[in-house]
Amino acid sequence: MDTTERPLRPLNVLRRRQLAVLAWVYFVFIGLATVILGTFAIAFAASLKDNPLENPFRFIFPQITPSVWITAADLGRQGAADPWWGGFAPGGELVFSLTYAAPAGVDLVTPEVEVPRRKPGSGLAAAITTTFASDYALVELTGTSDRFFVNADMETGQETRWLARTFDYKISYEAQDDKGVRVERLPFTALAPRTQTLLEATLPVTRMERRGRVASWNNIAPGALGLILNSYRRVINETVDLSTGDRLIFKWMGNSFQIAVGRVVLMIVLSSLAGYALARLRFRGVRLVFVLVIFSMTVPVQVTFISNYLVVRDLGLLNSNWSVIMVMIASVHVLLMKQYFESFPREIEEAAMVGGANRFQIFLHIVLPNAKPALIINAIMAFQGAWNDFFWPFVLVTNPPSALAMPVGLLSLRESYGGGQGDWSLVLAGAFISIVPVLIMFVLFQNYIVNNQVSEGIK
Amino acid sequence: MLKSIQGRLLLASAFALGAASLAQAQTVRVSGFGGSDPAVVNGLLNDVLADEIAALGIEVEYAPTDGDYSQFILNALSADTAPDLFYTDIFWSRSIFTPGQAAPVDNPELAAALLPSLVDAFTYEGQLYSVAKDFNTLAVHFDKDAFDDAGVDYLDENDTWDSFQEKLASVQGSLEDVYGVCVVPDYARFAAFALATGWKPFNDEGKTVLDDDFKRAFSFYTGLIDAGAGVLAADIGEGWTGGCLGSGKAAVAMEGAWIIGYLKDAAPSMEYGTTLIPSDPETGNRGNLIFTVGWTVNANSDVKDAAAKLVDLLTSEKAQQWVLEQGLALPSRSALADNAFLMGDSKEQIANRMVFRGASEGHVEPYFFGDLGGAWLEPVNSALNAVLLGESDVETALSEAQAQYDALQAN
Repeated sequence: MDTTERPLRPLNVLRRRQLAVLAWVYFVFIGLATVILGTFAIAFAASLKDNPLENPFRFIFPQITPSVWITAADLGRQGAADPWWGGFAPGGELVFSLTYAAPAGVDLVTPEVEVPRRKPGSGLAAAITTTFASDYALVELTGTSDRFFVNADMETGQETRWLARTFDYKISYEAQDDKGVRVERLPFTALAPRTQTLLEATLPVTRMERRGRVASWNNIAPGALGLILNSYRRVINETVDLSTGDRLIFKWMGNSFQIAVGRVVLMIVLSSLAGYALARLRFRGVRLVFVLVIFSMTVPVQVTFISNYLVVRDLGLLNSNWSVIMVMIASVHVLLMKQYFESFPREIEEAAMVGGANRFQIFLHIVLPNAKPALIINAIMAFQGAWNDFFWPFVLVTNPPSALAMPVGLLSLRESYGGGQGDWSLVLAGAFISIVPVLIMFVLFQNYIVNNQVSEGIK
Repeated sequence: MLKSIQGRLLLASAFALGAASLAQAQTVRVSGFGGSDPAVVNGLLNDVLADEIAALGIEVEYAPTDGDYSQFILNALSADTAPDLFYTDIFWSRSIFTPGQAAPVDNPELAAALLPSLVDAFTYEGQLYSVAKDFNTLAVHFDKDAFDDAGVDYLDENDTWDSFQEKLASVQGSLEDVYGVCVVPDYARFAAFALATGWKPFNDEGKTVLDDDFKRAFSFYTGLIDAGAGVLAADIGEGWTGGCLGSGKAAVAMEGAWIIGYLKDAAPSMEYGTTLIPSDPETGNRGNLIFTVGWTVNANSDVKDAAAKLVDLLTSEKAQQWVLEQGLALPSRSALADNAFLMGDSKEQIANRMVFRGASEGHVEPYFFGDLGGAWLEPVNSALNAVLLGESDVETALSEAQAQYDALQAN
């Protein structure tokens, strides 16, 4: 028997158990965070990709590769003197290289390159695009260089000698009558026989087409941000109100913001007044009013939506933000404010009353300033609810496109670009833009959210 | 002085005239789909037809609607907030016509100028209620490179179901990474085969009978996978046959002209060809569906006459010529069948031409199911699904579908 082994003390056993429990909790939380944040991260990564539906999903792709950012910035600078957003503008001149390879003995032919006349996407932008890089681009082959390398077959391991030939092209902007305009995209294609393989290019190829014959780039002068945030730029530029030229995504955001602010203001006024009245005033039927407020929480909006719609119609408010603001239901907030006011010391109010203040003055100058934490929590909840509200904006605001609220606008993006059209990166980009205001609000008010919700819970 | 007075009088009378014409100008509220459609309608209203519309003294308030358009228009009609002129899809047209919410089209000249099948599609109880603005049918689009690489002859107009299947199976057999065609459990594609047999969705008594002809087409369509000529679209992560073609996973797609815009974006360099739907080897006929949308004047509109005049303009030869040349939609007027644009040799023009021809080749039915609407599709789509997923055999699936139709049409 090993006498040197020390017996386990109860304290050590307890410590081990505590550590084990801690580790379990830790891993469970990490797991949950991975599941929740993981889908978020993948959706965000997909929103950056040229093809968000690619299968299998790649975690390393050009839009998140720093070396490609640098190349993209350089190409943007060459194309339009704009390393950030790139483009193709008068005076632009790019150098773009392609390297094809084939086993030694197979003829390496010069690819047929072209700046094609290509419309972006398949939605509205495809119908309204009038400027094309193909009208201004002149492509010249400026030189070639050869090198040999040894290629090992992936399956057999057999080594063969291959020839790699690099083709250098100059793409210059040829303005007719000095009337050139800046074009956002410079698409490029290279057609070569299937006997030769595209080994590398200045910028990673967007897609191979025609069963490997055509290497196709959506934009070879993207600029760094134009490469990374292409979908975001597209969703902003390609969703426009044709009659006014307004960018729809900003209009939708503005509408949602107006609705959210309007509802917050209305909620604060209604819930604080009603909450205070229910908490402090003793009038005939107070219980009935309270019961009705509670009851109104149990009625789904779908039950009252036809009557509300008809009221809004008769008021002539259809298709306006006011209609969505006024159909707000504040009963939850009334209840929360009532609870808060009930916990407010009566003695302070009585002291004010002795001092000659009337009930409204007490409410306005004493009770309300002290209710700031509850008001902020209610305001945040109301703002978030209004920002994400889909039902009422969907029912009450149908057109014109610039009148939509953000969630309904996202639906219209899905209709126009998702589905059969498969332009999902645009829809994803729109969805991510829509969360920005709520994210900012949470960052600004995080102290109130964390402190108050927790402390309210402990009470 | 006199000149000045004359000038003022002239100015005043001009102002008065202007005010009078403004007072006479009738505002017609127009709505349509969202997406890329507003580019077409705006182009027509503001560029192509601007002078004609102004000459009629009409002011147009155009408000396209994104999202579910049918839901929007049916709600708006119920709430009496609908526009004066709106789109009606043939698929849900009965919901508009039956309750009398569409004003009749009393323009025999216009009706005579349209393709007869499109007039029939929008005729309810002997009366035309919508003027087709454009239409689509199904055609076969194929990737020429896949056929070249497989060493198989391109699909053509002479193909029957047998040669169609044979060619597809040869392509799929020769190429490791390409299927023949994507098969979808959807009547909107399968109908091209079912109708070719002479079968009709409703017989003379208005009942749906899944007879031997239907069964023959059903067996052929669902058997494409077992014959090594196709794959279930969902099995390769696609939702429609166009997606399979655009991604290069299948050599063939059966779609309408809407695939052109998609391919321009998803596979802009693809060399594709388009031909007519293959014919039934027994009957020698083709089958096809017509998908169409028409302009409908709101029966409760205060400016029905002005709206009807606007319809005449929006569907005029000039308007349709422009829309066609933009490559945006197929014209509903038969006079444009020989239009130079449709005779062109580009892949888009050929695709448009084949889709246009699809409306008048063989047994063609509108994508419309009377008062049953979308409910009619449920039994046949369920049967297709059950057989394609291997959950049922053809006999069982069809007898279940027939039982459902019998129940649906019991009265």
